[in-house]
Amino acid sequence: MRSIKPDRIRSRVGKGAGVCVFAHPAILSSGMLLGGSIRRRLALGVRLVCLAGLAAWALLTPGFMTPLSIFSLLTTVSLIGCVAVGMTFITLTGNIMSLALGATLSAAAMVFLASLSLGTGTAFLLALLFGTVITGLQGAIVGWFRANPLLVSIAALGLIIGAAEVLTGGTRVYPATRGFAAFKGRIAGIPVEVLVFFATVILGQLIVSWTRIGRAMQMTGSNPRAAEVAGIKVPHIVTVAYLLAGAFACVSGVLLAARYGSGDMELGSGYDYGAIAAVLVGGTAIQGGAGSVLRTLVGATVIAAVQVCLLLRGFSDQLQYFITGLIVLGVVMLHTLGERA
Amino acid sequence: MTRRWADRLLRAKVRPFTILGGAVLVLALMDRGTGYFFSVGTAFSMLQLFATFGLVALGLGLSMLVGEFDLSVAGIMSLGGCVAVLTGAHHPSLGLACGLAAGLASGFVQGLIMTWLRLSSVAVTLGGLLTLQGLTYVLTDNRTISYPSMEVALGLNAPILGLLSLRSAVAIAVFVVTAAAMAWTHIGRDVVACGSDRRAAMTAGVNTDRVVIGVFTVSGLMSALGGVLLDYSLGAASPVALADVLAPAVAAAIIGGISVVGGRGHPLGIAAGVLTLAILRSGLSAIGVSPHVHDIVTGAILLAVAVLDAPDLARRIIAFRLSGGWRHS
Repeated sequence: MRSIKPDRIRSRVGKGAGVCVFAHPAILSSGMLLGGSIRRRLALGVRLVCLAGLAAWALLTPGFMTPLSIFSLLTTVSLIGCVAVGMTFITLTGNIMSLALGATLSAAAMVFLASLSLGTGTAFLLALLFGTVITGLQGAIVGWFRANPLLVSIAALGLIIGAAEVLTGGTRVYPATRGFAAFKGRIAGIPVEVLVFFATVILGQLIVSWTRIGRAMQMTGSNPRAAEVAGIKVPHIVTVAYLLAGAFACVSGVLLAARYGSGDMELGSGYDYGAIAAVLVGGTAIQGGAGSVLRTLVGATVIAAVQVCLLLRGFSDQLQYFITGLIVLGVVMLHTLGERA
Repeated sequence: MTRRWADRLLRAKVRPFTILGGAVLVLALMDRGTGYFFSVGTAFSMLQLFATFGLVALGLGLSMLVGEFDLSVAGIMSLGGCVAVLTGAHHPSLGLACGLAAGLASGFVQGLIMTWLRLSSVAVTLGGLLTLQGLTYVLTDNRTISYPSMEVALGLNAPILGLLSLRSAVAIAVFVVTAAAMAWTHIGRDVVACGSDRRAAMTAGVNTDRVVIGVFTVSGLMSALGGVLLDYSLGAASPVALADVLAPAVAAAIIGGISVVGGRGHPLGIAAGVLTLAILRSGLSAIGVSPHVHDIVTGAILLAVAVLDAPDLARRIIAFRLSGGWRHS
């Protein structure tokens, strides 16, 4: 699955290549190209060593390989993971991140709980529709006017929080029925959250790598101008990416609502930062164009594994945030080291 | 004639003050002469809010002016405050120094990483934000830490001349100094040059790396100062929710006429942006509107400015008109 990515080709050939148009292929391959590929391999190597080290550390942690810790790891991954899968689409199209997804999923959870009396399926669809429309509108503004994505998402954050507080009067929302239990139990011994999360990962990865929209998203992210020249309707693609992001984030909102049985605007706060951390740790490029949902799955798992290990080894609960931040910084630095020839 | 005036009022340099005037006018109309809005109390609380968000907005605004984006200001603000409260229990000035040093170091290191590895500032400061916020959680153990000396809090918040407090006076002084430095020294010229065209600035002999590192260091310093002043005056430090700081700071900078692509804007514009937000907050609560309406109003203004500044807005409108307007689309 390799689409045309002008930025990456340029970075692979090296900065000087644009100047020496008539350079012999042999010179290119022996000089700059090789230099670039060594860097790439080095970065890949460092990444693999880190992953292996983490795996060894996890296995050596007493109590890690028990069903209890594995399931707690999987559930942690699932709740943040659905949001991260959604965020992947935004990052992939070159729009960095949405700071409003956490608030969106809180609001979607409240929509879900408030409309449970209409039936579980209807409530789920309403919550999904709510998040999709709210986030899709932001995508349309970003796509059609090329407005700054961070600004639009911060504006949306203010609007969502303000509207939610005014509408609910700042009170928690409690469900009328217990129809949310369907999203809570276990099927064949596996928590429903985990099953739902794996379904979103598979669906997300199928969209990214097997559909024309997914390919168009990668091209849009790597060079929007080139994508437009190639006949891609960039505004549509960006809007679709945001629509998907909203839908996936709201799945997490419904799972959270089912887990806690009530909802307020605090429910999903911080989930947007957790999600972007998972996306970046997985190795999706922050400038867009290169990435996948499977990488996000890896990123979310790495972060959750570190958290579980720290907890099992008796470190303070707070250390995990600090370590996660350091991992994000490290991966971002490593990533550009590998990308740049 | 009216059109020319409208153009003049909406021009980038004047727009922050137009929005500020508009906000005052709307609130005065909503107040309907009951006098709750035009009172010394409202003005005082407005300036207190100015002190809370002003410095962090100024730091963020300066980073946007140089064409970058400092997401970490929220983390630095909360770190600076916590470090100051933890170290300055007996000597407030020692705490102030430690808090400022933490902010300075965070900004400097991030600037260094960015220029050294040629990384985008959003990527580095996003990592920085998560790291610094995590560090704050570790330092405070995710609890609210109270500051033993209440005299400091009372001293910082005591009214001076009815309107100001020591805290807001410091914030205003920082704004004045920054505005003066930007207007009359070569630093201001270099920052704007780097923001509008990095390559051209480099060709013209500006050490752009040094400017970027400098701006991020100053931004860290200002955010930390804002955090120290806030936590000292609250008498407590706690790891704040990130959105509570970042959203108002970005909104203030954008309403204040700072362009996201860099090179456009002025510290006085940022001051007007912060004042607009502060007036909306304290004014709306003074006349008895639900306190969360200001979130909606701020979001709406921010969205409007984001759309107005979007590079493709004109293109889409022209394409829409050419296609025959509403009838055909």
